[in-house]
Amino acid sequence: MSIPKTALKESGGTPNAGPRGLGLTPEFAVDPFAAENSQRALLNILEDFAAEKSGLERGQRAVFNILEDFDAEKAGMEGAQRAVLNILDDFSEEKSRLEETQRAVLNILDDFETGKNRVEQANQQLKSEVEERKRAEERTLRVNREVVAANKELEAFSYSVSHDLRSPLRGIDGFSLALLEEYGDKLDEEGKDYLRRVRAGTQRMGILIDDLLSLSRVTRLEIRLGRTNLGIIARNILAELQKLDPERRVEFRTEEGIEAFTDSHLITIALENLLGNAWKFTSKQESALIEFGTTRCDGELTFYVRDNGAGFDPAYAHQLFGAFQRLHDKDDFPGTGVGLATVQRIIHRQGGRIWAESAVDQGATFYFTLPETTHGGLNDA
Amino acid sequence: MMPDKIILLVEDNADDEKLTIRALRKNNIANEVVVARNGVEALDFLFGTGDYAGRNLSVMPQVVLLDLKLPKLDGLEVLRRVRADDRTKLLPIVILTSSNEEADRIHGYGLGANSYVRKPVDFNQFSEAACQLGLYWLVLNESPPARRA
Repeated sequence: MSIPKTALKESGGTPNAGPRGLGLTPEFAVDPFAAENSQRALLNILEDFAAEKSGLERGQRAVFNILEDFDAEKAGMEGAQRAVLNILDDFSEEKSRLEETQRAVLNILDDFETGKNRVEQANQQLKSEVEERKRAEERTLRVNREVVAANKELEAFSYSVSHDLRSPLRGIDGFSLALLEEYGDKLDEEGKDYLRRVRAGTQRMGILIDDLLSLSRVTRLEIRLGRTNLGIIARNILAELQKLDPERRVEFRTEEGIEAFTDSHLITIALENLLGNAWKFTSKQESALIEFGTTRCDGELTFYVRDNGAGFDPAYAHQLFGAFQRLHDKDDFPGTGVGLATVQRIIHRQGGRIWAESAVDQGATFYFTLPETTHGGLNDA
Repeated sequence: MMPDKIILLVEDNADDEKLTIRALRKNNIANEVVVARNGVEALDFLFGTGDYAGRNLSVMPQVVLLDLKLPKLDGLEVLRRVRADDRTKLLPIVILTSSNEEADRIHGYGLGANSYVRKPVDFNQFSEAACQLGLYWLVLNESPPARRA
């Protein structure tokens, strides 16, 4: 703030080098006294100017100070601004993090949506499967009900056949016999022959009804599996056949211990038919032979009944097991043609197979299998 | 012979009735045969109700020949009611029927039938069955002691 003295002396010592800007130099040369006064005035002016200048400098400094203060203020503001920017930056980071989170959430929602769709699809599929199963169950139930109803109907039918169809036959036969016995003297031989034919017909029909009933019974009977000795059953059947026909001489061969896991009642009916056929079809043989044994067909245990009787033409083998199918004249070999149908039904009901081999006058062999799983009796001995 | 021993034949079929009686007569079974044509009539006779109201109940059949398939009350129901009543629970009852259904036999014996005879189509066999029935139930069999009222 003080006026610099050196600057003033220099101005005074070298007037030539005085402030040319004032334009006063020519006057000094004219009058030295006046020049001295002027110099003083000038000095005064300079002093005033210097004072003025220091005031200015003070003002300037004050301004500087203000500016400095402002600067500081500005720096503070800048700091604040930076802080704000930092905050904003942070905020921005926060925001991008948020956005990321949001994106992640959206992705999750997307996945969830996809998953939900998949679940819905799966649900839909499940639902339709459940519905399909329900429908299938209903179908099964309906079929079951139908089967039960059909079985009931079949039972009623069989009962009716058994009872109602046989009653009139009994009447026809009984009254034909009454005619023969009580009025026989009023009939000639031909008349009596007619009545005998009537009776033979009714009796044949009676047997047919019985055979049909037994065929329908093997279908209706509940299967009760158990270990069964087929050899003993076969021997008993042969003994019974011999008792009914004591004149016959038939050689019977069988193995020891032929066992199966089967329904003993049903298999007895089957063997009665097979052995009964063998017995019947060897009746014209001089030395009749019947065999009951086992063999292996493609590794499967197979039972067989073999005879050396009349046999059959293999060309008609496919008709053998049909009901009412007969391959022989009934005058040669009587029968209703229901026996082998019954046997086949019994074997099939237990999941087995049956077939036959023969040639005319070469005897016949009937083979049958029972499912291996039911042969427990042979393996778990 | 044996005029005091009556037979109750429960049979709805007139042909079978005639044939049964003929088979009995042919085998010299001359006992009185009372015929009931349905289950209700049979029970009326046995318990003295309906048309048989006031019947002397001390006269009971020596044997009842019971068909199974009958109008109104069937044979098995007749059997059930006869066995449920003290007056008739020991009465000899022979089921005489066309049916050879296993279920009928099981039911019949289960309800206390004394025998089960299937009527054969062949009259000679039928006649033989009737003869054996008569011989067994009217001659050989000793009746249960008469019930004192």
